[in-house]
This record gives sequence, C-alpha cells and structure tokens, in this order.
Amino acid sequence: MPERRARAARAPAGPTTHRMVTFPTVSRSLLRDALLYLIAALVLGAGANLVPARHLAWWGQGLQPPTVGVDFQWIDAFAADALRSALPDTVFVDTRTPEQHAKRRVPGAVQLAYTDLAHELTPALESRLRDASAVVIYGASQETDVEQLLAQELHGRGLAPPHVLVSGFDAWELSGLETAGETP
Amino acid sequence: MSRPLYRWAYLATAVVLGGIFVYAASSKLVDPRPFVTIIWNYRLLPPGAVNGVAIFLPWLELLVGFGLIVGVRRRAAALWATALLVGFTAALLVNAVRGLDVACGCFSTSSEDTNNAWLLALRDLPMLAAAAWLWLFPPRAVEAPLEPTSRD
Repeated sequence: MPERRARAARAPAGPTTHRMVTFPTVSRSLLRDALLYLIAALVLGAGANLVPARHLAWWGQGLQPPTVGVDFQWIDAFAADALRSALPDTVFVDTRTPEQHAKRRVPGAVQLAYTDLAHELTPALESRLRDASAVVIYGASQETDVEQLLAQELHGRGLAPPHVLVSGFDAWELSGLETAGETP
Repeated sequence: MSRPLYRWAYLATAVVLGGIFVYAASSKLVDPRPFVTIIWNYRLLPPGAVNGVAIFLPWLELLVGFGLIVGVRRRAAALWATALLVGFTAALLVNAVRGLDVACGCFSTSSEDTNNAWLLALRDLPMLAAAAWLWLFPPRAVEAPLEPTSRD
C-alpha cells in the first residue's frame, strides 16, 4: 500500500501528467443537467399551481400585500387585554406551533396555522370568528407577516379587519398579562 | 484524504445539504401564499415576478435537495444549490445593508425565523461552501489507474 501511494504521488510529475485531475467546473453536460432541473421545477410548479386551493396568479397581479387599515389593524398587548375584558367574545387566534400553543397562550386563544388553513379553518371556527366582537391574531414575536396575511385572508372572507398584536406573544408575556396552558 | 474516505465525506455532505434543501422547501410547498408575502417583503423583485418565484422556487429547492440526496445528476444539483445559496445570501445581505427587518423565509413561512439578516447570511456560508465543494470537487467517477499505462 505505501508503495502504491508513493507511485501515485510520483505519477503526476512523470510523463502521465495528462491524467492529472482537472476540475470540470461548468461543462456542457453539466449545464444540460442543470437545465433539466430547471425544466422539471417549472413543470412541477406549474402543475401544482393549477390546484385551486393553492393557486397563485402567475404574474403576481392577484395578490397585494396586506395593508394596515384595510386588511388589519395594529393592536398592542394592553389594548388587546382591555378589549378582552370589555368584549368577552373577543377571539384570540394563535398562529404559533401547536406545541407552543399548548405550552403557553392567551387564555381562550384558538390555534390556527396559516399554512394549514384549509384544514384548520373549519366552517364552525369561521362562523365563530365572524360572530366575534373582535379578532386578535398573534404570532410569536415581532415578525407579523403571517399574521397580517391571515388577517387579509379572513378579511377577504368577509370578516371585519382583524387586529394583529404588535410583537406577538412575546409582548403579551413581557407585559405580564394573564396566560394559560401547561406552564402558565 | 484517502479516496474511499473522500467519497464518503462527499456523499455525507451531499445528503445533509440535500436534506436541508428538502426541509427548506417543504413548508413553502404546502401553501406558497405566505411565502409570497415574505418574498414581497424582501423588496428586491418587481411585483409581477413575486408570485412566479413563490410558485417555482420551492420546487427547484425540493428537486435540488432530492438530487443531492439520491445522486441524480448530483453535480448539476450542487451547481443549482450553489447558485440558489448565492442568491439567498445576496438577498439577505442587501437587506442587512439596507437595514430592512425582513422575515427570512429560509426554512419556513413562519414568522419565527431568526430575523438578524447578518446572522442569517452568515448561516448560509457553510452551506454555500459545501454546495460549491460538491459542485467543483466530485470524486472521480472511474478511478484512474495508478500504474502508468502502456500508452504513456
């Protein structure tokens, strides 16, 4: 074995230099393969986009980003808590994971992941949200993209523009407001 | 590094990187709509192109991930992985420089992804290095004979 290695080490220096490894960075066949990947992704993406439940407009004209004042209203933790006291049938919607929801949550909050809306937004839940005095959507922290989008979706289904909790459950907890769950 | 060891390291890296890509694609595939907002918030693309990216990009990620794991035209998959990671990192860096606080959308369409763009870009670098390695230094398909052949 050491002998083989020694020979291998010698080999490139000898007359066999043409066998040295050259790194084919972007060959024609590699580009062809890469193109195949792109075509496959285009075909699959186009196919999946024909499914009505997840259809998006092809050129982005069908979707506008959620707009404050139109699709949702901002609300801070104390105002949301006041709303909860003043209007007992205020519904809190928790977009965090089921585990986080089980652990700690705003008392009475319902869990609703935007990504699984088709399953989780049952007709019963939708009518409950529709009949609620106010709907407050909260996520985990200061990023509220998903909450805004959920608000837009609910508003699009005919609900009054829901509230989105500024800074999410973090703000609720840090404000020392009441929580429920396994570790209240 | 001995040749079998190199092969194993290459394969392991490909499987891990492929797994990361498949994982990253999965939640965006279930429902691409939250991903639209996240792409929108990056404020890099013209509005018309945002939906197109949300429609096709997760599928490309998924295919590249599977390609890396299974080994179907693995170098092409690694080339795509490199290109995608360069794109993602550049997008993060642009927003880090601009000081925009965007949801990453890296591994999920959830709002819980870490949001320090500098750190996110830094997190991309090992993956980028791995992808570039897989692309540029594949183990040789056929082992070259170690002995000089009669033609030499």
